[in-house]
Amino acid sequence: MIAKPAIPDVLREPGPGIGKPLSRVDGPLKVTGQARYAAEFNVPGLVHGYIVSSTITKGRITRIDTAAALRRPGVLHVFTHENRPHVAWFDRKWKDEDAPSGSPFRPLYDDRIVHAMQPVALVVAETFEAAREGARLVQVEYEAEPHETDLAARRHEAFTPGKEKGGFEPPPKPRGDPDRALAEAAVKVDVEYVQPTEHHNPMEMHGSTVVYNDDGTLTVHDKTQGAPNSHSWVCSVFGLSKSAVRVISPFVGGAFGSGLRPQHQLFMAVMAALQLKRSVRVELSRPQMFTFGHRPPTIQRVALGAAPDGTLQAMIHEAVQESSQFENYVEIVVNWSGQQYRCDNVRLDYKLARLDVFTPLDMRAPGAATGVPAIEMAMDELAHALRMDPVELRLRNYTDRDPNQDKPFSSKELRACFAQGAERFGWSRRNPQPRSMREGRQLIGWGVASGVWDAMQGQADARATLGIDGHLVVASATADIGTGTYTVMSQIAAGTLGLPIGNVTFKLGDSALPMAPIEGGSWTVSSVGSAVLAACERVRGRLYKLAAKMEGAPLGKAKPADMVLTDGHVALAADPARRVPIAEVMRSGGVLAIEEEARSVPYYVKRAQHTLATHSAVFAEVRVDEDLGTVQVSRIVSAVAAGRIINPKTAGSQVMGGVVMGIGMALEEETFMDHGLGRYMNHDLAEYHVPVNADIGSIDVIFVDEHDEVVNPLGAKGVGEIGIVGVPAAIANAVFHATGVRVRELPITLDKVLAGLSRRSAA
Amino acid sequence: MGRYHRPLALADALATLAGGPATVVAGGTDVFPARLGRPFAEDVLDITGITALKGIGLDGGWLRIGALATWSELAQAPLPPWLDGIRRAAREVGGVQIQNAGTVVGNLCNASPAADGVPSLLALDAEVELASSAGLRRIPVAEFVLGNRRTARRPEELATALLIPEPGPGARSSFEKLGARRYLVISIAMAAAVLEPAADGTVGRIRVAVGACGPVARRLPALEAALRGLPLGPDLAGTVTPAHLDGLSPIDDVRGTAEYRREAALVLVRRAIRTLTEQA
Repeated sequence: MIAKPAIPDVLREPGPGIGKPLSRVDGPLKVTGQARYAAEFNVPGLVHGYIVSSTITKGRITRIDTAAALRRPGVLHVFTHENRPHVAWFDRKWKDEDAPSGSPFRPLYDDRIVHAMQPVALVVAETFEAAREGARLVQVEYEAEPHETDLAARRHEAFTPGKEKGGFEPPPKPRGDPDRALAEAAVKVDVEYVQPTEHHNPMEMHGSTVVYNDDGTLTVHDKTQGAPNSHSWVCSVFGLSKSAVRVISPFVGGAFGSGLRPQHQLFMAVMAALQLKRSVRVELSRPQMFTFGHRPPTIQRVALGAAPDGTLQAMIHEAVQESSQFENYVEIVVNWSGQQYRCDNVRLDYKLARLDVFTPLDMRAPGAATGVPAIEMAMDELAHALRMDPVELRLRNYTDRDPNQDKPFSSKELRACFAQGAERFGWSRRNPQPRSMREGRQLIGWGVASGVWDAMQGQADARATLGIDGHLVVASATADIGTGTYTVMSQIAAGTLGLPIGNVTFKLGDSALPMAPIEGGSWTVSSVGSAVLAACERVRGRLYKLAAKMEGAPLGKAKPADMVLTDGHVALAADPARRVPIAEVMRSGGVLAIEEEARSVPYYVKRAQHTLATHSAVFAEVRVDEDLGTVQVSRIVSAVAAGRIINPKTAGSQVMGGVVMGIGMALEEETFMDHGLGRYMNHDLAEYHVPVNADIGSIDVIFVDEHDEVVNPLGAKGVGEIGIVGVPAAIANAVFHATGVRVRELPITLDKVLAGLSRRSAA
Repeated sequence: MGRYHRPLALADALATLAGGPATVVAGGTDVFPARLGRPFAEDVLDITGITALKGIGLDGGWLRIGALATWSELAQAPLPPWLDGIRRAAREVGGVQIQNAGTVVGNLCNASPAADGVPSLLALDAEVELASSAGLRRIPVAEFVLGNRRTARRPEELATALLIPEPGPGARSSFEKLGARRYLVISIAMAAAVLEPAADGTVGRIRVAVGACGPVARRLPALEAALRGLPLGPDLAGTVTPAHLDGLSPIDDVRGTAEYRREAALVLVRRAIRTLTEQA
């Protein structure tokens, strides 16, 4: 079943689809409201669960009184730690595909409270309203213990984690003598950056509708980035056989990483359905969306030393990041710094501090979105100290080998990103002097930063079924969280088999389909796309064989190697006018359908010899109101090198979305913690700010040509994360260029800018 | 859960209020989110069926804004330029859906310190019409809003309309709002100004109010007095000093520090005045 790696024909002779800016094939379903989401599936007899959240941050439950709730008409049952059904005991049974090391959180397991608003009960009722009212009537008494939620207070008790999570290697050993090199450097910066907690806040809140079937099996509609992940977790936690559960998730209303781990509403809905033998829905409220994973707050020190010509002589990047008391979530934010620049004296250090919060969780470009802004702001500070153009400084220290691992990059067109981005932006007209551009009371600034993300790949399966009617169905259990998976997989399949895109149906989001890993880390095109390619190549091979054996030999003595598929026909490569319709080939061979399944396996050997990454150069223009400190991002140019782009439209939208999120990270997004209560204060979309349309100016996305034969047969690296990575630093650097004020604590809110401007004018 | 009343006649609504207190609901955009997940324990008086409370119109030297008039209706009504300021505020109250549902009078009665409509109403010298079974009374907006979420409305009274006196010839108005993002945001600070120019090209009367910088929005009488008689020109805004804003009492919160609010309010007031002078 393992497909042998080979350079696929589809890339030598791109078929209809690959590289074309197609609109989303699922778009009409979404804009007409026909696409249904996890909490929208209705079945007769559906009952509703509502979660009661703890009012303390740490301690234990001393008493739960559910009598008033149970008296409420319509309330069927109240689940608590005292009456919950039996669930798995071993930690490993609670681990999902994205779990870091440690002891995963278990809802309603015992009387311990380990984070604010922890779920402590589930009220199930005939209506949502009755369940919510019942939840209000549950009386819980606690014995509170002191908590700590302030990273600054624990930073000096932080510890060095090991390899705690897949995809995140501990930092490399120090190179050279960075402290001495820093001390001796002619020009240096040594600064600290602080980043806040952020929450994913997808539009669709996490919800699960568990349908209790007549035979006792469960059909679970879940909001997830991996139906197989939810499936195996449910089976493992509740001790169910694989065939007793099916998880379906055809549409996901955004996730940004929040769906990488099964969230507690899934546990609650399954638990209630199994015990009550009823179909159950549990959906989180917006405030409850702040009760699980998040981007962790981080404190970073970056010290850079350089010779007067800009050559880096020392680099120290140290980070302390939040984790929970029960799991070691890591995102090793510092490694990209050592990978991005040539430097002989380097120390990268990463520590975790345990706090009384829920375990953090991958959020778009986890680690890179936090660490790269720090190094890229520091590089800008260094460029300013050197009186050197910040693009020139980056090119001066450019590296074609990854210094962390002493390996070549499989491909790295970052130079082209800088060149094309700078050209489009008009960077050559930049006056390096801060505060050198203004229009009335608006100070204008231009900033630049680079971005980097890993080009990962996992194993995935896909099944392709070609019917004699010319319709192709391709299936894999992957997810489409709004990224364009349906569309690009259909394009790869159509391209491989020479079919019009309208003849292809791609199925995903179903644990009954061929296996796929969780959809994250920008690896879905790489992993699943390669499997789709492999499965379709097998179908094509079968068609060629049938064509070669056809009665009357319409293609002469052509061998499979002499054939191509175009426009629904098998044709001679040398003379495409000689061709036979696919349906005729199949009829002649006596088959009604050709079905093939294939597994994509990464080029492990070649991959191990290289570092694989996507890169970007981001240029930003900001307008800062000198009197109020408001920052408007009027222009962003993001030039991205990510290998082959399967669909420039959906990929461009991905990067554009990343830019918008990066603007939010730079200027707005921040979850405030009340350390006295240990609770997030702004847990709604009125007070947790993400950018609105009026905050966004022009966004220009460039895809730079990049050829890569190591990454996968498609040569495509994936673009889900790279769009955000360089943006916060480019904006922060532009704010400095506009104002002369360096804000090192994100987000750069208006009061911080104004305080800096006031200090500046006082000085 | 209390009783839910939805009368079609004003007299019935007043009779209900005479019989006991009730939470009055029109657009519901403030009432509903404040009670999310909690039932109404009290009686509710839904006034949306009382057609007499609809509409916006000029009548005998007064602009009347009925209790059911929404922000969108105000923004779209054909009104003279001296109402430009409050019409600009109308487009800054939440998103368009909120503007379609939320009412101008409701925004006032909710008495949030950050209510986007109140600074303009103060600067326009607006009055509130209050009806009860005992009859009608009118009080200035400045005397109506008493504090955070507190008004002078008695439990048996219904706010039926806002009444804005028509200003002198050539009057104009402006509004400035500052939030942590460009739109869909609770104000950090606001300023509204109304100018009635004198015939000689100087400031005749000017009224300036600031919102979100204290428990209630406030007029700035010292500033108004200082500006009177000054020439209407580009230098007028620059005559505003921090001391003119002494009556404000901003607080620190997640949206900004008190110090930042004080600075921002000064800038917004200057800009509101500059807008007035540029409109000449």
